[in-house]
Amino acid sequence: MEPESADRALLERKVRRAFQVLVLQRGRNPGVKGWEMRRHLGRDYRKIIEVLSEDVAPMGLEVFEVKGPDATDDSSRFLLRFKEPPTISEAETSGIRIDDLAVLAASIAFINSKSGRVSRREVEQFLREKFPRWRVDYSLDRYVKKGYLDQDDKGMLHIGWRTRAEVDEKSLMTLILSRAQEAAKK
Amino acid sequence: MEQTKLDDYLRVIELCRDVETSSANPFDVDIREKILLLKQRLPELKFLDELLVDSEAMLELAQIVKLQDQWLKQRASALYIDPLLIQLKLKLLPKETLSEAFVKSWHPIAQVDQLSSRGLEKAFVYWRELTPMSERFKSQLGTYGIIPGVVEYSDLVSLGVFTAEEFELGLTRLYDELLQKSNGEWLDYRQFIEGESYGAKVRRAYLLAFLISEGRALLKTEPLTGKIWTMALAERAKGTPKSVAISITGDS
Repeated sequence: MEPESADRALLERKVRRAFQVLVLQRGRNPGVKGWEMRRHLGRDYRKIIEVLSEDVAPMGLEVFEVKGPDATDDSSRFLLRFKEPPTISEAETSGIRIDDLAVLAASIAFINSKSGRVSRREVEQFLREKFPRWRVDYSLDRYVKKGYLDQDDKGMLHIGWRTRAEVDEKSLMTLILSRAQEAAKK
Repeated sequence: MEQTKLDDYLRVIELCRDVETSSANPFDVDIREKILLLKQRLPELKFLDELLVDSEAMLELAQIVKLQDQWLKQRASALYIDPLLIQLKLKLLPKETLSEAFVKSWHPIAQVDQLSSRGLEKAFVYWRELTPMSERFKSQLGTYGIIPGVVEYSDLVSLGVFTAEEFELGLTRLYDELLQKSNGEWLDYRQFIEGESYGAKVRRAYLLAFLISEGRALLKTEPLTGKIWTMALAERAKGTPKSVAISITGDS
């Protein structure tokens, strides 16, 4: 085999391996940590991920990196996610209730406005002005469990890793502000 | 002196904890001033307990520095918006618009959930250790979990509730009583089955059900009022009997 075609075959094999590693859930949370990627793909795993990201783009997917708390390569989490947001009807068919999404959107915006940390009680009080009590409690518990929100041992809520992975927070904040202006004009 | 010395430490700890458990600005804590205070007090500390309070205060101050770092990063990002403004905007927006804004900024994770050998093993262990339904709530709910069924006459005899002679005698007595009381008229079923105790009541109802099944008595229900009537017959009724379910409680 020619050295060039051997390299190509190796790269293809590694890209395939990277896709399999990313698409199959291993632990409790989706995604693969940087150190795991290094173990599976070798030291040049970032290059493999770049190639994979280009390969999955025609299918509307991308490989996304969520930086870890210490911002090191090892602590980063890599995920395969939708390149473009779904439509409302697609989101509805996935079994998610519109009310639940509204609770999450309001919670993320509220937490961000409070410098990224706010007591759960304060979030609950705020949400209860708009949503029934049972829905607020249920939705907050659910989103903490799913990783969209993070609750520490002092009862403070933070933005969870899953929101960092799945939600374009800048776009969300901008949309909320612009839509509110439109609503006020009406 | 002792009290004042510890009071200063406790005040620092309490202040830090207040800031940590609220959305207050962590820069409200003057770290430099507090550290100078702790430094000034340090030579007065003699006992291990006092030194532990000192290190606790230092730990709390370190937590505040961490919060200050996060606070600055958040403020420097484009995500920071005045809380009052965002609260007002969120109140203005209908739920549908809020969820639409979320969906438009959402990139769901694509992944496959598959059954692993570890998952199978966990499921097997769970199933093996799962208490049967009939046993699970026994302590709270008694015999919950046993499906209601029909108790046959032979079952009661085998359980020793009746002997064959007693049963026949009881049927005859009840029939005579019903015949006498109804005297060709409809009689209130619930009044008739009433006994000295709940057990006696169930026994009378059970025997009456036999009389009705044998065609020696009739039963009539009024769905609108919920009333149930019964009457003894001098001659056995012919035709196909219908089944009626009547609940008997201790208070009716």
